[in-house]
Amino acid sequence: MNLAMLQPGQRGRITKIGAIGPMKRRLLDMGVLQGEEVTVEKIAPLGDPIEIMVKNYRLSLRKREAAGIAVEVTG
Amino acid sequence: MKNQAALKMALSEPAKTLTVAVAGNPNAGKSTLINALAGTRLQVGNWPGVTVEKKEATLLFQGRRLRLVDLPGTYSLSPYSQEEIIALDYLVQEHPDVIVDVVDSTNLERNLYLTMQLLELGIPVVVALNIYDEFQKKGYEINTSLLEGSLGLRAVPTVATRGEGLEELLAAVLEAGDHPEAHRPRTLNYGQDLETAVQEVERHVQVRHPDLATRYPQRWLALKLLERDERLLRETNLGNGPFLEQATRHLREGHGDDLEELLAEARYGQAAGLTREALKKKATGRRELTEKIDAIVLNRFLGIPIFLVAMWLMFKLTFDVGNPLVDWVDGVFTGPLTRWTKALFTAIAAPEWLVSLATEGVIGGAGMVLTFVPLIFAMMFFITLLEGSGYMARAAFVMDRAMHAMGLHGKSFIPMILGFGCNVPAIYATRTLENPKDKILTALLVPLMSCGAKLPVYVLFTGLFFAAYASTVIWAMYVLGIVLAMGMGILFRRTLFKGESPLFIMELPPYRLPTLKSLLIHTWEKGKHFLVKAGTYILAISILMWFLLNLPWGVADKKDSVLGKLGQGIAPIFQPLGFNQWQAASALVTGFIAKEIVVSTMGQIYGTEEEKEEAPSFGEDLQEIGVSLGKAFWEAGSNVFSTFGIATLAAEEDEKTESWRDKLTESFTPLSALAFMAFTLLYMPCMVTAAAYKHEFGTWKWFGLATAYGLILAWLVAFIIFQGGRLLGLGG
Repeated sequence: MNLAMLQPGQRGRITKIGAIGPMKRRLLDMGVLQGEEVTVEKIAPLGDPIEIMVKNYRLSLRKREAAGIAVEVTG
Repeated sequence: MKNQAALKMALSEPAKTLTVAVAGNPNAGKSTLINALAGTRLQVGNWPGVTVEKKEATLLFQGRRLRLVDLPGTYSLSPYSQEEIIALDYLVQEHPDVIVDVVDSTNLERNLYLTMQLLELGIPVVVALNIYDEFQKKGYEINTSLLEGSLGLRAVPTVATRGEGLEELLAAVLEAGDHPEAHRPRTLNYGQDLETAVQEVERHVQVRHPDLATRYPQRWLALKLLERDERLLRETNLGNGPFLEQATRHLREGHGDDLEELLAEARYGQAAGLTREALKKKATGRRELTEKIDAIVLNRFLGIPIFLVAMWLMFKLTFDVGNPLVDWVDGVFTGPLTRWTKALFTAIAAPEWLVSLATEGVIGGAGMVLTFVPLIFAMMFFITLLEGSGYMARAAFVMDRAMHAMGLHGKSFIPMILGFGCNVPAIYATRTLENPKDKILTALLVPLMSCGAKLPVYVLFTGLFFAAYASTVIWAMYVLGIVLAMGMGILFRRTLFKGESPLFIMELPPYRLPTLKSLLIHTWEKGKHFLVKAGTYILAISILMWFLLNLPWGVADKKDSVLGKLGQGIAPIFQPLGFNQWQAASALVTGFIAKEIVVSTMGQIYGTEEEKEEAPSFGEDLQEIGVSLGKAFWEAGSNVFSTFGIATLAAEEDEKTESWRDKLTESFTPLSALAFMAFTLLYMPCMVTAAAYKHEFGTWKWFGLATAYGLILAWLVAFIIFQGGRLLGLGG
C-alpha cells in the first residue's frame, strides 16, 4: 500500500520512505517521516497531484512522489 | 574625570553595527515583517551569481545600527535547493551577530524544525512568533518561557501585518547581539547513539583539521559530516578515508544506513516534543476558513473554472488598467516631448541627424521603457496578491497535471497566460517558480504566446487577404503558438533539460489577506528595479537600432540605408517561404524593437511620404497632456467593468493602411501572407523582452536560445505553410 493509493478522507501511517536523494530529503524536511500519520485530503481536478495533511498542515505532491511512500491504512 | 573620559569614549567610538540575518519558512510572513521593519529603506538586489532576490536594510534602533539581511525563505538548511544553499552559506561564512527566525506560530512544529537547524550553528537566535493574532483567535496558548528555556533563545510574539511586537523583537535582538555569551543556543540531545557519533567526529576534526574547527561551528560541522554533506566531505577529505565509516558503524547498525533520515527524525522529534509541552490547543471542532474555501476552490468540477476566471480577471485587470496609461505615456513621448526637443535642437542649430537621434533614439527608447512600467506594476501587484493570499499554490495544484504533461510546473501557467498580453511582464512573472529549471523552461516558451503587439500584423494581413474569415485566421495563429509551445516544452525537457524533473512537494498555506502596504512596497520595488536595470539595456539597444535604421544619414531611397541593405542581404533566406522582397525582410528586422513596428515599417517602405501635421503650441501641448492623463485614468477605471476590446483595435488599424494597401496585395499572396504571419508569431522576442531576460536571469544566454530556436522554428513553420500550401495547389 502506498500513499498514492489512498482515497480522499483516508488516513495512513507512513511505514517507509522509498525515495532517495533530494526527493527524500525534501520529504523529510517537510515532515513526511516514518511513523507519521497522514490524511489524504483531496485529489486535484485532473487526477494529479494530491493534497495531504501532515504535521497539521497541508502539503501537495504528485502521485509519482507519493507512490514512493509506503503506508498502512489506519482510518 | 573618569566618567567623563568614559563618556567621551562612548561618543567618539560608535557602538558596533549588529548584523542580523532574518530566516524563516516560506509563508511565515517574513517579507511582511521585513517590510514593516525597514519600509522604503529596503534595498533589493540579487545574491551573487543567482537569480534569488536579496533584501537588505540598515535601521537605527535605540541609537544602534542594525543591518538586516533577509535570507531566502526555506523549510530547512539542507544543501539541495538554491535558496537553502544561499541561506546556509551566508550563516556559516558571514557569521551574523544574531539570527531572527520568523516562525508561523499557528504551525509551530514544522517551523521549529528549521529553528533546530539554526540553533546548531551556535549563533544567538531570536524567534518571532509571527501571525500571533491568528494564533490567539484559534484559542491557542503558548508557554514562551518554556520555549526560551529549553532552546536557549528569545521568543517574541509578533503580528507583522499590524506592526505589533516589533519593538520588543528589536530589543531582544539588541540584547542577544550585545551579550552573545548569555544567549548561546542550548545543545539539544538528539539521542544517545547520535550524540556519541557526533562527539567522535568532533574530536577527530579537532585533532586532524584544527583549521576547520575554528572556521565552522563544531557541532554543526559534525552533524553535516554525518549527513554526508558532499561539499564538506570534499573540503575535509573525510569522504575517502575509513574514519566516517567506523565512527558511524554503531549508529548504522542500530538505525539503518540513512543518517539523513535519522537526523531529520531527531530534529523533528525535538520540535514535536517541545510543541507538545509548550503549546496548548483547545479543540474547537470548528471548520477552518481555509478548509471551507478549499472545498470550493479545489472542487473537482469547480476548481478549473474558478481558476480560469481568476486568470481571466488578472489578465484583464493587468492589461486593461495598464494599457490606457501605456498609451498616455507613449502619446506624451512621441507627441509633445519629441516636438519640444525638436524645437530646442533646432533653436541651437543642431544638425538634423542629431535631432533624429535625440528624438527617435533617446526619447523613443526612454518612452519605450516607461510605457512598460504600468504593465510591470500591475502584473507584480497581482502576482504578489496571488502569492500572499495563498491562491498561487492552489492554482499550481489545479493546473499541474496539464502543465506537467508539457514538461512544466503548475505555476508556469501564469507567466504563459500573461504572455498573450505582453511577453515582458510574463518573463518577470516566472519568478513565482522556485526551481531554476522550471523557471528557465517557462521563460523559453513564453515568446510562443502570441502577444498583443503581434495583433496589428495579423489584422493588417488578414484584412487584406482573408477579409471574409479574418477572425478565424487570427485565432489559428494563437492556437499555432500554443501547440508549438507544448511541442517545444516536451522537446526541451527531453534534450536540454534532461534528467530528474523538478519536485512538486509544495505547501498549500492557509488563506490570508496580505496588507495593502506590503503589496504596494513589493510592487514599487519591482517597478523601480525594472526602470533602472532593464531600462538601461533598452535605451542602449534603442540607440543602436537608431543607427541601424538611419545610417548612412540622408539617403533618399530606403533601399540604400543600412536597414535596406540588411533587408536585401537576408531576403534570399525567405525565398522558400514566399516573401523574398527586401521590404518584408527589413520590416522583420525592425520588429525586434517591437512587433507592432513591423506594420509601421512596411507603411514607411511601401508607402509614400507621411502627411505633415499642424504642430500645436507649447500651451496646447501641456493642456493636452493633462487632459489625456485624465482620460487614461478614466479609461483604465472603466475598462475594469467592460469587456476586452479587440474589435476597436482592429477598426483603428484598418484606416491607417489605406495608402499602401495596394502595394502589399501585389507583393504577397494569401499563402505567403499566412507564412509571413506565422513567421512574425514565432521568430524572436522583441528587445524589451530581451532586456527582461537579461534582467531576470542575469545573462543573455536564455534570450540567445529563445531567439535561436525561434528563428529556426519560424522558418520551418513558414516553410511548411508556404510549400505545403503550394503542394496542395493553393497557389503561391
